[in-house]
Amino acid sequence: MKLTQLPRRHRILAHCAPIGEERAADRTMRTALLRARKTEDFAHQQKFDRAVNALVRTIPIPPEIAEWFSTEHVLSGPRKTWQRMARNPAILSIAIALTVIAGVFVFQFIEHLRDFPGSETARRLLKVASSTRSMVLDPLKADAGSLGDLFFMKHRLVHYDVPPEFADFRTLECRVFDDEEGLRVAQIWVTEKRMQFFLFPAERDIKTGKVLEFSGWHYLDYEGWVGVVSERNGVCFMAALRGRERDLASYLTKSKQ
Amino acid sequence: MTGDARKAQEVFHASLREAAERSAHGEIPRDPFWLFRDARWRCLEASEQGLQAEDVEIEEHEPAPWAESQINKLECNQLAIWISGAPDPQRTALALFYLDEFNYRDLLTLTELKSDELAKEISNGRQQFQAWLDTTLPHTET
Repeated sequence: MKLTQLPRRHRILAHCAPIGEERAADRTMRTALLRARKTEDFAHQQKFDRAVNALVRTIPIPPEIAEWFSTEHVLSGPRKTWQRMARNPAILSIAIALTVIAGVFVFQFIEHLRDFPGSETARRLLKVASSTRSMVLDPLKADAGSLGDLFFMKHRLVHYDVPPEFADFRTLECRVFDDEEGLRVAQIWVTEKRMQFFLFPAERDIKTGKVLEFSGWHYLDYEGWVGVVSERNGVCFMAALRGRERDLASYLTKSKQ
Repeated sequence: MTGDARKAQEVFHASLREAAERSAHGEIPRDPFWLFRDARWRCLEASEQGLQAEDVEIEEHEPAPWAESQINKLECNQLAIWISGAPDPQRTALALFYLDEFNYRDLLTLTELKSDELAKEISNGRQQFQAWLDTTLPHTET
């Protein structure tokens, strides 16, 4: 077989075949060499090139030139500072991507840091609060604290009691409905700052069915709405309003005093 | 590239001076081969002065199995003079190729040739050198 019988691309590469094998780092070059080695004239070419290279290596280098290369760096290129590296588009885009990913993780971590049993349901009910119109509820003028009896008598909902912190507010409307998960939810609208109360069953352990209790008040927010949740006797209470955490906090501190 | 040690030394020092000046001013180009390019053009400039090789039709022979023994009989200066007499870009291609310090892609960058052009220059150079060897040191069967 002759070199001329090789495909054009391989023939071109074979003509430029490196003298030392280590210079054939390129995959296409290695493939071309593999095919070229099967030809007779390529062997002659390689012998020829090696002989010429050996002759080139005997060219004496004048001592005044050789001494330039006795030290490691005759000339150093511009140093790669971190500012230069940071301006590299590839590194810049990787850095931005990593920052965004880290940001998402931090955001999710902070979000879950405030989680408590029933927070998912509470967040869902905050959405309900933000979209509820008054005509959906039944008019009812009473003290919020007295509605526990109504829920028990009319809807057989046990312990659906408004906590003392919010019991004195006058109600405007209320309703009992099943949410998308089939939980019986009581919703109360009060006159105070157009606040809404929600009473819903506390989250239970999937295996044991035991109520996952938690103590104190827990805040959560959703698109400008803020809620504060507590649990008692297996029922969660949430007070929600459009505003900030401090708007609700004031009611809790008042009751403590 | 020059076929003349004195000229080569002058080019080397001029290239190094240029590099030192650029380095001092923080103007070293990003191209890793810029020093070689600079030296190449200086060599070509230097070669334009003095005697020039005539343009003649050169015979071409395929590299022979006995080429190695022919080349072994040569002096390195003879090879240097032969290569420096080649027209550019063949001269640059042969000089850099036989230095065996650059890979194929480096050669393409340095010579500013396309792959088929580089292959042609090297292949023709080989055949012409073989023809010259056959004339200068005819092979005799032993």
